[in-house]
Amino acid sequence: MPPAGIWIDGLVQSCIYMTMAFGMVLVFSILGILNWTHGQFYMLGAFVVYYAVTAAGVPFPLSLLISGVIVGALGMVVEKLVIERLTGPGYGLLAVTAATMALIFFFEGAAGMAFGLMAKGMATTLPGVLDMGSFSISYQKIAVIIFTLVIMVAMYIVLNRTKVGKAIRATAQQPDAASLYGVNVGWVSLIVMGIGCSLAAMAGGIMGPVQSVDPFMGRIPMIMSLLAIVIGGLGSLTGAIVGGIILGLLNSVIAYKISYFSEVALFLLVIVILLIRPQGLFGAAPK
Amino acid sequence: MIKWYKVSSLLVVVVMVLSLLATACAAEQQKPAPPQPTGPITINVGVPMPLSGTAAPWGQIPTPLREGFIQVFNKDGFKVGDQTYNIKMVQVDDENTPEGGSAAAKELIENDGCKFFVGHWSWNFSAIAAVTNPAKVIFLTRNGAPDALPASWAGGGAYDPKTMPYVVFGTPSQEEFLADCFALVDAFPNYKKIGLVDSSVSKGGPGWIAVQKALDKQGVRWASEWFTPGTTDFSPMLTRLHEEGCDIVFVAGWVGEYMAMLKQRWELGYKDMHIACSGPFVSMDIYQSVVGVDAFEGAIGSYEAPWAFKKTKVNPNIIAQCQETLKIAAQTTGGPYDYTGEFPWVPAHVEILTQAMQKAGSVSDPDAIMNAIRGGTFDTTAGKWTMSGAQTYGSPIVFGTPASLCSIQNGKEVYLSEHPMEPLP
Repeated sequence: MPPAGIWIDGLVQSCIYMTMAFGMVLVFSILGILNWTHGQFYMLGAFVVYYAVTAAGVPFPLSLLISGVIVGALGMVVEKLVIERLTGPGYGLLAVTAATMALIFFFEGAAGMAFGLMAKGMATTLPGVLDMGSFSISYQKIAVIIFTLVIMVAMYIVLNRTKVGKAIRATAQQPDAASLYGVNVGWVSLIVMGIGCSLAAMAGGIMGPVQSVDPFMGRIPMIMSLLAIVIGGLGSLTGAIVGGIILGLLNSVIAYKISYFSEVALFLLVIVILLIRPQGLFGAAPK
Repeated sequence: MIKWYKVSSLLVVVVMVLSLLATACAAEQQKPAPPQPTGPITINVGVPMPLSGTAAPWGQIPTPLREGFIQVFNKDGFKVGDQTYNIKMVQVDDENTPEGGSAAAKELIENDGCKFFVGHWSWNFSAIAAVTNPAKVIFLTRNGAPDALPASWAGGGAYDPKTMPYVVFGTPSQEEFLADCFALVDAFPNYKKIGLVDSSVSKGGPGWIAVQKALDKQGVRWASEWFTPGTTDFSPMLTRLHEEGCDIVFVAGWVGEYMAMLKQRWELGYKDMHIACSGPFVSMDIYQSVVGVDAFEGAIGSYEAPWAFKKTKVNPNIIAQCQETLKIAAQTTGGPYDYTGEFPWVPAHVEILTQAMQKAGSVSDPDAIMNAIRGGTFDTTAGKWTMSGAQTYGSPIVFGTPASLCSIQNGKEVYLSEHPMEPLP
């Protein structure tokens, strides 16, 4: 049995993957595309938090909100200028996929030019380690877990108790019907892209003090959150959460058990899950 | 008639002889004077270096130090015969990739006329050597990357002395890694076990096989762990090493990963676990900001400040040059500049190269210069050392340079220990 420290480490990773995956699924549900640039919004969020804290002296929790707002707005710009145009008549799924993939290198290159390629790190905002006897956990990691819980509860309330949330859910289920009932589907798409990117940005921001911040930091979380979605079931918000938890814990436990072979085992496991249940754990079975 | 004929003939002969003498004297007078020494002649020296991509910081940050050293070096330059020469450093981005290395090498040779490369450390040794050797360009580099080791070694490298006669392993990183392990044992004689950590790219490679054999031979207690490139979470690996009884973890030069390990070791509560790296601390500010001030305390890394060595004697003039270089680098960057990790690279390679030119009496004959390098003794920023000639790898590799370590105390580098290098295997 792995020690408690490994489970905690896995849980912290799970928090990031589920937050990222949740945003990706939300975008997929409404726009019908996988936003391949999601990892770069994660990276940009980390940079916003880094500069807000280190250059402007903004308190860390407030800087997280600022990163959510700024990067969320940037996501909306991308939706309006790129995604909306390329999902219109005359364009195929390939065009928008290629465009969001191209944006990966655009944002990484732009971040490299603007912020430098050097890894940056901010001072731990919650210094100290909670000694539990047989294991320790840093206060910063506890903050990541609490932050994720707060985000998930907030998203539950937004999606289930607000007009915007109901419009999003209606559009996800039946966009044409939602439109007939007066829901502005274009506006909902914009809002959803903003929320998705905002979640990615805050996930990147909360990880800033845990890991370092650099222009390429979004790649692995992007791949892992994509896998979380596949495990959980494409289009399922519950699946994104469960997939994120499973993947984070598995990643940590397998790495502890078999060291650097862990990725081979992890991806093999994903393939096995898909062979047994192609629609993922919570996805609808193909008709 | 006869008399007149004889006199006129004699006159003709005399005139001809005088004419010939006059012509000879005139020719003697017109013969160009032997060349007198003029101003310094500049020699372009290529430095292929990562200036873009993820490794760029390690190419960019030491640039002021490289430029500062060349500036100091050129104050007097160096003499071959009566002629004084200066060095011009031409730095080109090699992107830390084989393709980038090959393109950079071609650009330096074809566009910049470089006949010598120094200071190279990127992961593209064989790509650059494939360009430099046919062009007889002397290439001062490091060993240690999987391809920059002899093809004859177990695990197989790519270096072949027969086809790469102009390669000089001027910085023996492979041997330095081993000597660093011994320096750690010197610093912590009561250690339990050293956990050696490297990328899975190097697993089973010739360098590791040689190092592990050498450690076993010296009775050093060790365990090893590997990580996939791109890994950011080292908590599982550190937990494994902790459970294996390792109280020292030694990382093979992966700076970003090393920083992550320092931080995560602290978060896991393994405060007594020493984390060391075979590279120098490129910037105190970066480490402190990424790792955190508390977790950075006690970090161990290479220490290349020549004035701090305790077992190695460095020429006082060269020490003065290095200290002046740091001042220039500080002026260039507009702030304190304390990175000394570059001294065994471009500065040391320039010293080896220019002193070899002096011994060879030529700045343009690569074979004569290589003959001077093989087995030659050179005064460098890392001490005075004799190259191994063709005895090691078939390359005139430097030996005896110090593997010197420091530990971070109150945010400053403090000398920890030093161990001389010995050839592998």
